[in-house]
Amino acid sequence: MEGFTLVDMTVLIVYIGLIAWIGSRFGKDQHSPEDYFLGGRKIPGWAIGLSVMATQASAITFIGAPGWGFEGGLERLVTFINVPLAMIVLIMVFVPVFHRAGIYSIYELLERRFGPATRTLSALLFLIARGLATGVVLYAPALVLSVVTGWSVNLTIIIMAVLAISYTVLGGMSAVIWTDVIQMFVLWLGALLSIFLLVTSLPGGWSDVFAFGAQSGMFNAIDLSLDPSVTYSLWAGLLGGFFLHVAYFGTDQSQIQRVLSSPSVLDAQRSLLIGGYLLIPQMLLFLFIGVILATYYQQHGLTPPEDLNELLPRYVVNAFPTGMAGLVIAGVFAAAMSSLDSALNSLSAVTVRDFYSRYIKQDASDSHYLKASRLATVFWGLYATLFAFFAGNLGPVIEAVNQIGSWFYGALLGTFLLAIFSHRSNARGAVTGLIAGMLAVWSVSSLLDVSWLYNNTIGVVVSVSVGYLVSLTSTAPRPEQLSHVIIEETAPDMQAILAARSANAPKIGREARLTRRRCIGLFVWFVVMLGLLALLQGWANG
Amino acid sequence: MAERLTLSRQLDEHAARRRLGRLGATTLEPAWMALWAAPLGMTGKPPGAWLLGAREMQRALLLTGAELPVQVERPDTGIQLTGATAPTPEATQRLWLWERMATPRLWRIQALDTPPTPVWLPCWLGYRAGRKHQLTVISGLSGEVLSMIKPLVLAGLERAHDHAQADTEKTLPAG
Repeated sequence: MEGFTLVDMTVLIVYIGLIAWIGSRFGKDQHSPEDYFLGGRKIPGWAIGLSVMATQASAITFIGAPGWGFEGGLERLVTFINVPLAMIVLIMVFVPVFHRAGIYSIYELLERRFGPATRTLSALLFLIARGLATGVVLYAPALVLSVVTGWSVNLTIIIMAVLAISYTVLGGMSAVIWTDVIQMFVLWLGALLSIFLLVTSLPGGWSDVFAFGAQSGMFNAIDLSLDPSVTYSLWAGLLGGFFLHVAYFGTDQSQIQRVLSSPSVLDAQRSLLIGGYLLIPQMLLFLFIGVILATYYQQHGLTPPEDLNELLPRYVVNAFPTGMAGLVIAGVFAAAMSSLDSALNSLSAVTVRDFYSRYIKQDASDSHYLKASRLATVFWGLYATLFAFFAGNLGPVIEAVNQIGSWFYGALLGTFLLAIFSHRSNARGAVTGLIAGMLAVWSVSSLLDVSWLYNNTIGVVVSVSVGYLVSLTSTAPRPEQLSHVIIEETAPDMQAILAARSANAPKIGREARLTRRRCIGLFVWFVVMLGLLALLQGWANG
Repeated sequence: MAERLTLSRQLDEHAARRRLGRLGATTLEPAWMALWAAPLGMTGKPPGAWLLGAREMQRALLLTGAELPVQVERPDTGIQLTGATAPTPEATQRLWLWERMATPRLWRIQALDTPPTPVWLPCWLGYRAGRKHQLTVISGLSGEVLSMIKPLVLAGLERAHDHAQADTEKTLPAG
C-alpha cells in the first residue's frame, strides 16, 4: 500500500501539462488556416473512433463500472449488449437523414418537420437532461480527486467545476483527437494493470476469481426472466437497452455532434462502428475488474467503501507502483475534462443556436455570439455543479448517467421517429406525443415496479402512438415539410429520370455494399458477444 | 459576373467505379455541379480553405487548400447541373459562424471579405436500380459522399431532363 506519493503527483502534473501542451500545439497555434483543416483529415478513422469513445464515457466507465461489477457481477452487461444493434439503426436511419438535412443541431430537423414549438421543446429537454448528466460527469473526477487528496468531495466538486468551466471557456481541446486517444490507452492500461496486480495478489490467481465468481453467481449475465421488475433481465437489456442507446446516441446533441461535423456519411458511420464494436468489450473489462475486486475484498476480509464509485480509484492509489498511479489518475482527469468540455460545448452551442439567436438577439455579430456562448458555458457549468453535489446519492455514476437520460430521451426518440417515418404526423401530434411520452415514463417509474431500462421503450411507444393518433385530428403536413426526411428520388417523375440516366450510364459491376456489410458485421458481433456470455454462464453453473 | 472556374476532377473513373460500387451503385456517370466558393482564412492573410455552397444549401461543403484546384479547360464530359443561386455574403458569413460554433477549434478562421467565386464542382453520380432507383453523389475531388448537395443534384437532373425534352419537341417535325 503505497498511497499517492510525491512522484505520482509529479507524474499527474507533468501528464496534464503535456496533454495541455499537445492540445495548444496542435489544436490552436496552427501556422496557417489550412493546418486547422488538414490536421483532422490526416488522422486515421480508428483514432477518430477512439476519440469519440474517450469523449463519451471513459472516465465514467473507469469509475462507475467496477462498482457495478462488484455489486452485481456481469449481469449489468445486458445494458450494453444491445449497442451493436442500436448502432445499426443509427447508421441506417439517423445518420443519412441528419447528414443530408445539413443541420448543426439535430433539433432543427424537428422544426423543419413540425415547426418551432417542437424544436424548442426538444432542445430544452436536451439542455435539462444533458445538464444533469454533466453534473454526474463532473462528480466522477471530483471523487477521484477526493480519494487522492483526502479532501471533502464537495470541495473537490467546486475545484473540478472551476477547472472544467475555465478550460472550456478558454477553448478546450477535445478537438485534438490524439490526446483523446492517449487518454483512452492510459485508461485501458490502468485497467489491465489493475487486473494483473489484483490477480497476482490472490493466492490462487485466476482460479480464485472464477471460483468466487461462479459461486456467488457473478457470471450470470443472462437472466431470461420475463418479469418486468427484474432490472437486468436479457429482455430489459434487449428491448429497453436498445431504445436507451438509440435514444442516447441519436437524440443527444452532445453525442451526435461529431457525426454532424463528419465530412461524409461514411466517416460518421465509422465513429459509430468503433463504439458498436468496442463498448461491450470495454464494459466487460471494467465489470470483470469489479468481480476481481469482489474476490480480492472477500479474500482479504476488507470492507468496501460506502460509495462503490471509489473502489477502483482507491485501489489504483493504494496498490499501483509509484508513478503508475499518478499516470492513471491523470488519465481519468484528462478523459473527464474531455467529456466535460464536449458536453459544455454542446450545451452552449444549443443554447445559442436554438434559443439565444432565435428568441433574444437575431442578427448579432460573431463576437457577440462568441461572448454569449461563453456565458452559456458558465451557466451550464454552474447548473451541472449544483447537480454534482447530489450525484453521490445516485449510485454507480455509469448507471446514473443512463438513468437521467432515460427520463427524457425515449419521448424525444419517439418524436424523431415520427418525423422520419410517419408522413402523416404533424406539429400538434409531435408536441402532444413528446409530453405524453415523458409523463408516461415518469408515471410508470414512480408508480410501478418496472426496470428503469424500459423507460426509453415506454417513452418511445407512448410518444409515437399518442403523437400519431393526435396527428389524425388535424391536417396532414405539407409536402415541403416532408422534404427533409423523405428520400427525394422516390417521386415518380424523379424515378423515371433516374431510370433513364441509369440505363445510359456505364455499369459498375457487382460489389458488396459497404453500409450493409458494416451492419451485418455489427449484428454478427452482437451474436458472438451474447454467445460468449451464454458460454461463460453455462460453465459457471456447471 | 465572374467567369465560372472549373475545379479539376481528381477522382478518375476507375476510382469512382470502385467507391460507388462499395456504396451499392450499379451504374455511374460524371457530372459538374454549379456552386460558389467563398474563401476562409485569417484576416489579412491568404485563404486556407473554401466554403462551397449555394443559397439553397443548408450547410456548405468545406474544401481545404490555399488555392482552388482549378483546371484551364471547361467541363468536358458529364452532365452540367445548374439551377442553384449564389449565396449572399451575409449568408456565407452566417453559415461559417454556425460551422465554427459546432467546431470551436475553427473559431479563429473567418469568412474573408471577398465575393464568392462561381465554380464547377466535379462529382460522380452512382445509380442503383432496386425496388426504387436510388442516387448516390460522391465528390470528384475527394470521393466523399455528398448527401448535402443531393437535393440540388436531383433538381439539376430534373432541369436537364426538362431542357432535353423541350429541345426534342422543338426538333420534331411539325404535324
